[in-house]
Order: sequence, then structure tokens, then C-alpha cells
Amino acid sequence: MKLDTAEVAIIGGGVSGLSSAYFLANAGINVVVLEKGLIGGEASARNGGSMSPRADEPFAIPMATRARETWRTLDQELGYPTEFIHEGRLQVAMREEEVDLISAMAMNAPKFGVEARSVDSAEARSIVPELTDKVLGGMYFPNAGHSNPQRAVQAYAWACQDRGGRIYPDTAVTGIEVAGGRVQGVQTSRGTISADVVVSAAGPQSGLIGDLVGLHIPVAPGRVEIIATVPLEPRFTTYISGNGLYGRQTLRGNLVFGGGPHEWIDVTLQDYPPKPNTPLVRNISRRLAELFPVLEDTRVLRSWAGIVEQTPDGIPVIDKLNDPEGFVIVCVSGNGFGLSPATGLAVKELIVDGECAVDISAFRFDRFRNVPRDWRKTWSWESGAYNT
Amino acid sequence: MPDVHVAVVGAGPAGIAAALAAAEAGARVTLVDEHPIDSSMMGLDIPYLFGQRMTPTVRDEGLMLQRIIDANSGIGLAQEAGVNVLPGVYVWGSFREQENSRHVAKPVLGLGNDRETWMLEYDRLVLATGARDLSLSFPGRDLMGVVGAKGMRALIEKYQAFSGARVAVLGSGEPALNTATLALEHGLEIAAIVEVGPEIRSPGSQVEDLQRRDVPIYTNHRVLEARGQREVETLVISSGSQTIDLACDTVCLAIGLVPSTELPYLTGCDLGFDACVGGYVPVVDSNMQTSIEGVFAAGDLCGIIHEPLAESQGSRAGRGAAGTLDSSARQLVTPSEKAAQSEVEYWESWRCSMAGGHARNVTVCLCEEVSRADLQAVSPPRYLQWPSRRMGDRTLSTLFSEAPVNLDRLKRLTRAGMGYCQGRRCREEVALIAAEASGIDPSEVPLATFRSPVRPLPLRSMWDSEETEEIRAGWPKWFKHSAIRLDSLDRAAE
Repeated sequence: MKLDTAEVAIIGGGVSGLSSAYFLANAGINVVVLEKGLIGGEASARNGGSMSPRADEPFAIPMATRARETWRTLDQELGYPTEFIHEGRLQVAMREEEVDLISAMAMNAPKFGVEARSVDSAEARSIVPELTDKVLGGMYFPNAGHSNPQRAVQAYAWACQDRGGRIYPDTAVTGIEVAGGRVQGVQTSRGTISADVVVSAAGPQSGLIGDLVGLHIPVAPGRVEIIATVPLEPRFTTYISGNGLYGRQTLRGNLVFGGGPHEWIDVTLQDYPPKPNTPLVRNISRRLAELFPVLEDTRVLRSWAGIVEQTPDGIPVIDKLNDPEGFVIVCVSGNGFGLSPATGLAVKELIVDGECAVDISAFRFDRFRNVPRDWRKTWSWESGAYNT
Repeated sequence: MPDVHVAVVGAGPAGIAAALAAAEAGARVTLVDEHPIDSSMMGLDIPYLFGQRMTPTVRDEGLMLQRIIDANSGIGLAQEAGVNVLPGVYVWGSFREQENSRHVAKPVLGLGNDRETWMLEYDRLVLATGARDLSLSFPGRDLMGVVGAKGMRALIEKYQAFSGARVAVLGSGEPALNTATLALEHGLEIAAIVEVGPEIRSPGSQVEDLQRRDVPIYTNHRVLEARGQREVETLVISSGSQTIDLACDTVCLAIGLVPSTELPYLTGCDLGFDACVGGYVPVVDSNMQTSIEGVFAAGDLCGIIHEPLAESQGSRAGRGAAGTLDSSARQLVTPSEKAAQSEVEYWESWRCSMAGGHARNVTVCLCEEVSRADLQAVSPPRYLQWPSRRMGDRTLSTLFSEAPVNLDRLKRLTRAGMGYCQGRRCREEVALIAAEASGIDPSEVPLATFRSPVRPLPLRSMWDSEETEEIRAGWPKWFKHSAIRLDSLDRAAE
């Protein structure tokens, strides 16, 4: 059965797929999104919400800079709120070895074009007064911010639909049609879609999508956990990294912080993995109370987890292939949320213009050409392995 | 018999019977019960609707503990039978190894109180977590003095700390009539019993007795609003064009009880929708064993039932948990989704009548201040003050025509159910509203998820004091990668 015909079919209704769909639809491209479950059903809508350049990843700076510029006006552009706040990120050190690491990063930052400055304990605590006096120092990134992942994902989706894009939830991909070295379309649980270009934005399922066209896309899905407290009065707007956690106070007032050991898992193209359920909420609670001792009476409302894909080097793949022609890989390796506007623009440009306006050479797929099929086993990144 | 440790959650009739039966069968038994609830948790309407109707005595933890033990003879019996009874302890989590959580070595429960948390390992588990009050929206529900039947009964019987004096009872089923009778026995006044339907739901001698004691009973009446400054002073009801102001300081919601399925959900037990009992319950076999081997459920959790049946279910579960069951031939009984006497239909008749059913500015989610209109329009929360022309095209109906009904998605967009009561005061109403907007039967609305901790404990008590040095030292903030390994692969290939 024929489900639809489009110029571009995007596999995956996560933040990267939906951002790509939005920017394509906005450019007048006939686009469909295929999602096995609900849009933003996994990590895209439940991550820490950070948008920040990182001083240790110079290759990502052009994309991060573009993402920031786009985030600033994204609400107006999409027509729906994402709760974006541009108030910087504070990374704090609570152990001596972290201080050394952060100092080294601060030295390197200007070389990479990252605006960042070292702060001492007093300045860190003047930016976020709730921080513990055990903070030894840190680094402040003014060009950073955060938004609400749940709202942002829905905003991309609605804005895409407003511009004629179609989103098919509950639609599992079962095959990709290739003829004469070119992709022709996608087979799904609800029928086939003809398309000139197929974008794999399947996150943790990227490896399984690669298998459908005979490509080895090396990704390992891992589960990471996060907690939320009851809402508090507004206290800080800066994104915070420290004491093994990352997180923010939301506009509503809740503290949302994650971090800690992860478990490697397996996924399928049809189902959601079973809901994870571990006592890690206690460890994260402890670290959060250590970070903000004055907030230790704050009640914990919930904890949850998301499945994040990781490439072997942790660096995204954004690449349009020649074999098969018309196949685009978007696999952001846990960097997806903050980068999402730049990712969507990059995918649009690769498809419409043939090349991306900013340098994404570090994101090429062929760097994995020598990764063996059994890499997860030899690296102990196999399903069930914990915190390796 | 090998040493078997049975954990029982809940010290109601079913839980006590389970603990006694398991102990008698030779098992080592731990019985955990959250009463006495600390006063701050009561203030959050957890687990029942206490409606701020408790006297300041509830802050006296020692006295409350004594009263809880005195009010429940089963606790003493269990202790005599060698059961390790833990009163005043919340069960906030339940963790087992499963496909996505391989490193949870042994099944454990997360226990805790206002001061600390710890984990309890078990071999077998009996869940007898009971039920909580159904809450439906009407104007004035946020006033002090709007309580649930469970909350009011607990304050009267267990805590001897009920501060109300004159009560209007909503509903005329058995829980409503029992609560009214109990209130009279304790010297309280009943302003009225209000029933939305044309007849008393549970007719019989109890009603006659209440009528003999001059309790006004209004059938075919709906609730318009509760009025008062900070506290309830008047409940306004109406029938046709006639309006009645009932002077009262307490409005008791005794419309329905909702099985407390947080722990079976977190444990991973299959749940089925049972219209007869008002929602989702664990699917069990004839031994009260759930879909997970070694995990049992009994009592009100499995549907609102009478005490003798709760005890017999509890005994079966306790014996089953202590012994070795042949589970090869066991058959899980799926609950009936449609029923002649549907609790959910009764709830729906109340929901549609409250404040005329169509008053759109009535708050459904009290914690996050989400109104009926906000839900219908899938409005971004008020703190965003987001003026959007485009949002005007989005409604609950369009949302659920785009994709299957999903309450978690609705929750994330509107924030209904995301507040400090963890959705206990609006879950059912939001589900009914979603069913109506999408034109499906309430039984077809998938259950919204529960997340640990299912009791909102403070950071300082969630704090893991048992954290090992290994976890401490090896704690990553994010994934660890190795570009070096990739380089070496390339060099090897060259």
C-alpha cells in the first residue's frame, strides 16, 4: 500500500529529524517524518535541555555558534514556545583535579574561538548563590543557554506541519528501497513512501537503519538518567555542570539534573525499550544536595531516563552519501538537543544546496570505515555492560 | 523449607492477612506501611485528599505512631507472629532486573521516611497498597476543607486528628455512606449527602438509619461550587432551577476510589483496565500472583472490595508468596473492560455535572493551575504567557487526531499532573477529558506513567548514604569516548 509521496522522507521523529523536517518544509520541500512511536518519545524530549559550546570539542564550534544564533529567535520563527533562555553555562569544580582540567580548558578556549572565562569560587557563587562553598572554581560560558526539550520538540513538529510537512507517528520503518545505486523510498508498517532523499535521523536505531541499506553505522545505545524536583521560586537561570551532574532550573522552577553511570542496551525498529527503573535517583539526589546544600529540603518529584546513541568517538555524523545516492545520515551522538537548529539547517543545505554553509567536515561518515562490526564487544559497550 | 524473605507493602486487611499467612507458612516477613504519614506529606494530599483538615496534633510523630498502632490490631498480631513491621515507612520505588536494567542484581524496594532512604531486598513481594480518593474539579476545590473519603476516614479513625465539624458528602455508594455513618458516630454533623444520579447508589438499612438521624439526602443534585474565604463555608448544589446553599466546613469527595497502582507499575506488573472498579488494576491469577513470578497483589489494589474478601485475597497471596507455587499452569485473568455496573461511568456522570460540566475556567490540576479550558486548548502553561495565533488552531481533539491518545504527551504540553501531588488529584479527570475529546472509551486510554520516587521525599532523605566508593570514584557525568581507539583502528588498517 502506498502511504505517501515526498521529496524527502525522514526516519525518526526526534529532535534532529523534526528540526530537519521543519527547515526542509520551510524551504518548500515536500517532506514526511516517519516515527515508530510518538514524536520526541525518547531522549529528544527528556534530556537536560542544554545548548552550550564546549571548549574541548573545537570541531563542533561552527555548528554550536550557528545553533546559538538560531535558538535566539527560534520561538518567533517556529511560532511556538521552546522556553529558550540565553543566560550562559557555569561549569564548577569541586575537586582539585577538576580545577586543573578546567584551567586547561580555559587556556584552550580562545584558540578554538570559544568565549569562556575562568571564575574563582567567589565569582561562581555570585553567579549562582545556592552553590556549595566547596566549589573550588570553574568556568563560565556566556554564549550558552537552555530550553525545554518537550516543548521544543513539539514546536518543531507543529511548525513543520504548519508548512505542509506530514508526520506519521506509530509508523515503523521496515525497509529502504534502493535501485540503480539511488534510494527510491521507504517501506513502513503502514505502507510505502516514495522519496528522492531518505534521511536517517533514527538516533539509537541508526545502526539498524544502516543495516537496511547495507551500511555499518556504528552506534551504541545507552541509557542515562535524570531527576526533577518540585518547583522553587526563580533562583538561577544559568545552566550548571558540576559534581558529576548537569542541569538547570526550569522556567517553571523545577530543578532538573542528570548524570551518572549509564547502561548499554539494545533497541529495535518497532518497539520502545522497556521503561528503565533504577535506584540511581538516590545518587543523583545526593549529588544535587551536595551541589546546593541550601536546597536540600527540596522534594524530588520524579526520575526518568532516555536512550542516547553514542558513536565510537562521541562526535556526530551529518553526511550525505553517494552510495547509495540520496541517503543522508544524521546521528548526533548525544549532542542532538542543543545543536538541533544547526543540524536541521545543515540537513536542509546538504539536500537543497549540496553543501552545508558551515564546516561539518568533522562529522563525515567515512571516518568510521575501519570500525569492525564487533566493535561494541571489543570495547565492552555491549548490551548489559554498565558504566564502561 | 529454604529461607524465603517476603516483603508485604500495606498494613490494611489484605496486607495484614498476607503477612500473617506468609509468617505462618514459615517465611521471614517484612511488613511496610506508610502510616503515620508525616504532616508535611499530608499537606501535599499524599496519599489521600486530606484537604488541610488535620489538627496540629499530626505533627506529634510519637503520638501518631501510637495511634496508628492502637487503631490497627493487625499490626500487633503481625508482630506477635514474628513479622518485622515497619510503620511510618514509605515505599517510593521498586526495582527489578529487566531487559533495560540488567545491573539491578536482586529485586529491591526503595524505602524511606522524611529523614532517610534505604533499600530492602526481597525474594517475594505482596503488594497490598490499597486505593486513594478520586478527585474531580469544581470551583472552590482548592479551599481548605475539601477532603476525600479515604483522607477523612484516616484522620478520624487512625489519627484522631480531624478538624472539621460539619460535612457535606458527595456520592451515595458504600464508601460515602460508611464515611457519613462514621462521622456521625464521632459526633460530627452531616450537612447533606449529595448524589448526582436519580437514586441512592447503595440503598439499604444504612441509608434508612441515616435518614432516621435526619441527614438530608439530595439525589438528582449536582455541585455548582464550594464557597468560602480560605476555608469551605458553603457548598452550592442545584437541581433544575433550584439552588441550595449547604452550610458546611468540609466537602467530602466520596465519589470513587482509585486503586494505588504506582508500585505494581514500577515493579513491571501487567495492568488491565477494569471498568467495575474504576481503572487499572494488576492482572492476577487465582493465587493473586501478578504477571511477574513471585510478585502478588491483593485487596483494594485489585479492585475496591469488602474486608472479608480482602483478607482472603491477602491470605492466598501470603501463602503463595511463602510457598512454592506451580506457576507453569497458572492463568492470568484479564479484567473485563466493559461492565454493567461501571464505576467509570459513574465518575463520568459526576465529572460532566460539576459546575455544569461546561464551566471552562475550573482548575483541573491544582498544583500547576491547569484549567479545563487549558487542557482543551493544549495551552502552554501560564508562566510562559505565550501569545500565539498558531496555538489557536491546536486543540485536544487535533492533538489526538495526529497521534494515538497519550496522557504523558498531554502532561508535558500542559503540565497537568506534573506538580507536587504527582498527579493524584487530576490523573483520572485528565484521562476522562482525553477520552471525551478523542471520542474513545475511557478503557482505551493508556495509563499515564508513574516514576519513582512515587512519594516526593526531600533531596536530603533521598540522599544515598550507602553509596559505595566504587560508584563515587567511577561516577561519570556523561559517556566516556575514545578517539584514540579510532585512530589506532585507522593506523592498523593502513
